[in-house]
Order: sequence, then structure tokens, then C-alpha cells
Amino acid sequence: MSLVNFTSREITCKIVYYGPGRSGKTSNLQYIYGRVPEARRGRMVSLATKGDRTLFFDFLPLELGTISGFATRFQLYTVPGQVYYNATRKLVLQGADGIVFVADSQARRFDDNLESLQNLQENLLAQGVDIRELPIVYQYNKQDLPADLILGPDELDDALNFRAVTSFGADCLSGNGVFETLRGISELVLKRLAAGSRVA
Amino acid sequence: MRAVEPWVEGPLATFLDESAARLTLLMTSAGQVLAQHGFTRAFDVMSAAALGAGIMASTDELARLMDAPPFRAMAHQGVQHGLFLSGFDTPQGRWIGLVVFGPESSLGLVQLFFERLVVDLAMKAPTEAPSNRVLGSDFEDELNASLRTLFGQ
Repeated sequence: MSLVNFTSREITCKIVYYGPGRSGKTSNLQYIYGRVPEARRGRMVSLATKGDRTLFFDFLPLELGTISGFATRFQLYTVPGQVYYNATRKLVLQGADGIVFVADSQARRFDDNLESLQNLQENLLAQGVDIRELPIVYQYNKQDLPADLILGPDELDDALNFRAVTSFGADCLSGNGVFETLRGISELVLKRLAAGSRVA
Repeated sequence: MRAVEPWVEGPLATFLDESAARLTLLMTSAGQVLAQHGFTRAFDVMSAAALGAGIMASTDELARLMDAPPFRAMAHQGVQHGLFLSGFDTPQGRWIGLVVFGPESSLGLVQLFFERLVVDLAMKAPTEAPSNRVLGSDFEDELNASLRTLFGQ
């Protein structure tokens, strides 16, 4: 849940990047880390295995600036994508204010996307959160791969985006769509907060 | 010292005086910072809170796997600093405390006064539900301007 401090006029929101293994969640954060001015971001914390697979989470604190007199900060987390790390996914998901679902656009990964989406819904439900009430955007990553290997954003929308939430085609390595996605989820989370904020 | 809610400041100040802790962080179980002392950069506070909450969450899960009650506290002793981490219940929900101490203090001292801090916080915590306070009506306009500034669009 967003933390609004009316005394020191600060807002802190937690955004979780979710999706199947190797879909590009960590790459999103690495790209953001590399492009946001140092004064606006903290150190990126990565709890990863020797093979650089996310073991627990990646974490990147971001300063959005002052909005309506409130210093606004975002905490970006990723979850480990591999199926067997569900226990840690559940932990990272706790208290999320918004979700970026990072899907792998490769046709051969379609079932993995679907499984991860179902897993997200189950884990949120286990925490008493209805996925329909949480700000969420989809990102279809790896759109730079050859056309015969991937599904396009429209095809993926038809197949995965049952709720017709905002979606973005992306290529995290070159950065296409990364900031558009972050901006999309930021808007949803903060507008929801503006509509009915509460003191934490 | 900074705290999200003023009623936390008194008990925390007492704890800091008595324990001689160098850094102290109180956070929710989701890693949101509620009060801190000793950190100079907001980003460092958030990273420490994320890691502290992660440690507590994973040890709670380990306890659950062992069919045991959650671990109350954990301690790590380094060469120059010690670290104490403990979860506790308050009328406002489950909180986590992270304390870093140097040679001028000790684990025993920190543990002793942390227990008092938990009691003091429980006594001072308001019992009524937090009131809804809506952000200013200009929030959405300024939000769009800020997003343009940050993302350069």
C-alpha cells in the first residue's frame, strides 16, 4: 500500500515487475538505472544467483520529483520468474501498489506467459487482492526479435490481455518501451492514490 | 530522526538514547519505511528497508515450513558493526525494526531496549482507524507535468 506522509509531505509507492523467467524484468530495471540521473535514483540492489538469475528480488528506488508539494518516490521490485520460486514471489508481491506484467513475446514462450499470469492472479488472491482492482500494465518484451519468432502486440493482447489493460510493446535491451511502461504504471498508481489517499 | 507519524518519535528517541544505536529503521512488513534515524540518503533507507523486510519475510516462511512460530529476532555480528532485526506486532499491524550498532553498544543492550521500544510503541499507538485524507485537487495536473519532466516526454 502506498505510504503517504502528510507531515513530511512524502509519497512512497511499490511497483512490482512480474512475469515468466527470462522475460526481461531485471533488464527493465537495469535500463532505467542506466538512464535516470544519479540524483533521482538509488543503488540497484540485486539478489541473484551466480548465473545472474534473480534469486529473491531486484530493487531500485526512484525519485519522481515533487507532485502537489509531495516528494514522490517509487520502489521498483522484480520477482524471480522461475516456477519453483513461488514462495519468494509471494513475499515480494506483498503491499504492491501496481504491477508491470512483463511477457516474453516469443511464440514458444506463450504458455509460460499464461502460467505466470495465472500465478500472479493466484498469489494476489491469496493476499486478499483482486487483480481487477490493482493498477496493472502489460509489457510485451523482445519485440526486436525476428517477426517469425514472436507474436505482435495485437496478437498478445488478444491472447493474454483479458481485461484490456494498457499494454506496451518493448525491447528492453535497446530501451524501446521501457520508460513508456514505467510512465503508464506510474500514472495509474498515482491517479488511484489521488482518488482516495489515506494516511498509512 | 524522521517518522511518518509523530507518536513514534518519543519511544524511538528513548530507544536511541538508551541503546546508543547508530542506525535504526522501523518499517512495515512490505518494506515501507515508517521511521528512521541515522541514514543520510532517502535511497539508502529504502534499500535497507527492502532488504530487511526481505530477510524477515524469508525467515518467517522458513519458520512456517518447520511448523514453528515466527523467529522473533535475528542478529549478525560484523567486524565493526552488529545488526539486529526483529518483527513485532503493533495496533497498526506488523512492523519490523532494523538496528545497526557499533562497539559503543552491544547486542544485549540493543535487545533489551528494543523490547522496551515495542512496549512503548504499543502504548502510544492510536487505537482509532486512520482518517482518509485526500491529496490536493491539483495533484493530477502536477502529476502529468512531473511525469513529463522525469521521462522527458
